[in-house]
Amino acid sequence: MSLINNILYDTVYHSAPLILLVLGGIFAYKANVLNIALEGMMLLGAFSSAYFVLITKSLLWGIIVGVILTLILGLIFSYFSVTLKSNFIITGLGINMFTLALSGFLLQFFSIPNINVSSIVSTANLKIDIPFLKDIPIIAPILSGHTFLTYFSFVCIFLAGVLMFKTKFGTYVRVVGENEEAAKSVGIKSDRIKYLAVLIGAFLCALAGANLSVERTALYTNNMTAGRGFIAIAAIYCGRGMPVKSTLYATVFGLTKSLSINLALNAGPVSGLFETVPYVMMVIVLGVVSAIESRRTKLR
Amino acid sequence: MTKNFKERFLIPAFNTLLPVISALFLGGIIIFAIGDNPFKTYGVMISKSLFTVDGILKTLHFASPLILTGLAIAITFKANVFNMGVEGQMLLGAFFSGVFGFSFDLPPLLHISLCLIVGVITGILFALIPAFLKAFFKVNEMVVTLMLNYAAVEITRYLAQGVFRNPASGDVATYTINSSAMFNKVGKNITAFFLISILVFIFIYILMKKSKLGYEITAIGKNEEFAKASGMRVYRKIIYIMMISGGISGLAGAGWMMSEKYRYTTSFSGNPGIGWDGMLIALLGAHNPVGVLIAAIFYAALKTGSDYINLYTNVPKDIVGVIQGILILFLSIKFINDKTDFLGRMRQRLKSIRGSKGATRI
Repeated sequence: MSLINNILYDTVYHSAPLILLVLGGIFAYKANVLNIALEGMMLLGAFSSAYFVLITKSLLWGIIVGVILTLILGLIFSYFSVTLKSNFIITGLGINMFTLALSGFLLQFFSIPNINVSSIVSTANLKIDIPFLKDIPIIAPILSGHTFLTYFSFVCIFLAGVLMFKTKFGTYVRVVGENEEAAKSVGIKSDRIKYLAVLIGAFLCALAGANLSVERTALYTNNMTAGRGFIAIAAIYCGRGMPVKSTLYATVFGLTKSLSINLALNAGPVSGLFETVPYVMMVIVLGVVSAIESRRTKLR
Repeated sequence: MTKNFKERFLIPAFNTLLPVISALFLGGIIIFAIGDNPFKTYGVMISKSLFTVDGILKTLHFASPLILTGLAIAITFKANVFNMGVEGQMLLGAFFSGVFGFSFDLPPLLHISLCLIVGVITGILFALIPAFLKAFFKVNEMVVTLMLNYAAVEITRYLAQGVFRNPASGDVATYTINSSAMFNKVGKNITAFFLISILVFIFIYILMKKSKLGYEITAIGKNEEFAKASGMRVYRKIIYIMMISGGISGLAGAGWMMSEKYRYTTSFSGNPGIGWDGMLIALLGAHNPVGVLIAAIFYAALKTGSDYINLYTNVPKDIVGVIQGILILFLSIKFINDKTDFLGRMRQRLKSIRGSKGATRI
């Protein structure tokens, strides 16, 4: 029983940053500027929030500076891909490499192996118990006792759904993605919409990064995002950019990740191989979804 | 003739040089910001890698795997297929050629060829996964290959930690390959692996410029729908392209294992890895084999030089990675197009801003 509880708790725990990434990516996906730079933006968010928590000695200020820096990175990405009309996939990959190299470069320059903020941030105190929820027997140990950003990520699913389908902005984003010329002809400023779509992504990526480094473990290690940005892209592809559907695929990754970690404890020598399971799982899911999709289009 | 000259040489040269200069300039600002002299740093880099015979040989040695990974990516980019898994294919090729390298004892020539072939086959097999998924289920190959890279890193780490671990070594590493599987160093730095890279380069050059497949690659890259409509079996061609790309990537890993590293460690490929360097090189070389060759040697010179900057300055070695990232950013835009040039576009923009301001004033 406790194993199942642990697995489910960890599923929520590992899904949270991915959900933020996915929700950050869908607006850009729908606006037809696929944001491959999710990975790099998340890494910058993780690095800069950890670093500035260390400098300012304040959790809040650290995260705020991290968000601001990531928004600037988002501006760079959208300036290149929207204003300069670059090949945005290459731009995104360039941003990923740049942030990875820059964070490694700075760690080397400060000659520290990682950024440890555990003296400033106590991860145990950041876990919030929700008043009523924590008394319900089975659900409590799974859903309660998470950090603020974890809860926030699940609230964001709802917010993103509303923003995408119930507001003028969401409609504009979808129209721009469907047919940019038509959008322009009715007076929608398509470039501005695309900028905003990317910047929403950058904001949520920064929070995902802060969740990963500061909030969970109070530690930044080099390249700690480990491909989560690309997994989010895969989830977005599977869910066709729909907020709820895409986040469901993200939780599939959270589940496999938590399964691989929890089962690896009992697996002995093969446990090292379990690390590959989430990535392979995502490839299989993507394959199955695309296979069903292509059969459906063929039947038509 | 002058127009032809401008279109064929001046514009491509300008499109390549401007990003390089801008990236080096921004890198210089970063070096300056951390309190060092950018001119001295770049001076050390270039003089150590290009101004001595040893340095040049070392640069060419470093360039050998980069030429291969650059070609592996260029051939897929040319067809508008994004094989981002070159890094993973290279790592697996290197790992299994290494396993064959320390498990057998054969005459040198036979052993070396066996290991190279193992590397190539591993690369091809690993590249076939995204290729089949793309051909049969239309799965986006870029996402799949990006993710399989992480899987490849974890698989090789698992194997290097467990089954093939050399207990005598302190960190995670496999056994060292037998000397019969090592390329002999000619002089101090260069090995026959460089020759193999050049042979592959010639092969790819002929393939891309003179063969039917090369023509089809260009056609698919320009317009896939049209290629399909005119009767090409596009998906079969994509499988071929991915196989060639994977094979070359595997060869790059195998050769690097047998000419430089001799054993597999978790830092085999460096940071950023040889496969990622290949992406920069393919972009810098504009997907053209000759361009890739030049770009690989240029980038190898930067990398070779970066080994020395720690001795003379306080700049961390990773500055090369930073410059690489900035360079890719700049290479993603075309400064001068065939039709509208960058300056022309800026002029137009200025005009339109002025125009709109004028309009509001009225």
